[in-house]
Amino acid sequence: MADLDLIIHQPMRLSIMAALMVLAPRAQMDFTSLRELLRATDGNLGAHLQKLEEAGYLAVKKTYVGRKPRTFLAPTGKGRRAFEEHVKALRAILGE
Amino acid sequence: MTDELGREAARESLKQVGEVAKRTRTMIAYRGGDVLFVVWGIIWAIGFTISQFAPRESQWAWLGLTPLGIVLTFVVLRRPPAVRAAGTDRLARRIGIMWGLLFVYVDLWLALLWPFLHPNGIAFWRHLTAVIFTAPMLAYVMMGLWLDNCMVWLGLGITALTVTGLLLLPGVFFLWLAAMGGGTLIATGLIIRRRWR
Repeated sequence: MADLDLIIHQPMRLSIMAALMVLAPRAQMDFTSLRELLRATDGNLGAHLQKLEEAGYLAVKKTYVGRKPRTFLAPTGKGRRAFEEHVKALRAILGE
Repeated sequence: MTDELGREAARESLKQVGEVAKRTRTMIAYRGGDVLFVVWGIIWAIGFTISQFAPRESQWAWLGLTPLGIVLTFVVLRRPPAVRAAGTDRLARRIGIMWGLLFVYVDLWLALLWPFLHPNGIAFWRHLTAVIFTAPMLAYVMMGLWLDNCMVWLGLGITALTVTGLLLLPGVFFLWLAAMGGGTLIATGLIIRRRWR
């Protein structure tokens, strides 16, 4: 039986991973769009992204588009597997 | 930890995952589209209201409103996309080319047919307007077949409303287009915005 992942289980981090899992392989979402999508503040979202990045679940790429700095996010392979396991564990609790 | 989490909490978490995933897909599909629908809906509403009540002056109104809409479209499309990925830019470029070709196609045939047309009276302009404004609706349907069913229904719906007004309400046709065509575009933009925010 799959185990729940303590890092992903926190509601904001669960939402972050759920949003990023929609992305096609090698696609990246920008920080501002994710913040609007999850109705989060810069500080709150940044703190949770850092946790996910430290766990190796998230790749963060800072770059410039024109002259503006932008941050792009994507789940890593490890992050995708961890999220899928977490969802499996949630389904197992419900007997699905 | 699995044992400690109740069924209700697990159900809530899965629901949250589903809702966020759905909102994300909508956001990616419609980034900027909500604003464009509202912008063009307002332009339609203003333009056709003028066409109804001041038909002689309406050509000048459209000469101002159409370039305004095109400029605003470019402004909106300059917003950076939510997602960057291989293939996304190419798809956006192809969609842009498709719209450009549609404008050229409609304008070319209007220019070629113009000497043979007999613009006598308001009935002619009603029919011509219906042809010109259902052309982009066909483009919506074609795009929707590849991207999202919502655009198919929007294109078919506005085309049906246009034909209905043309055949059944010729006296208030332009006002009908302002309310139903413009209103549908504005409502679609607001619905899209609400779906992912």
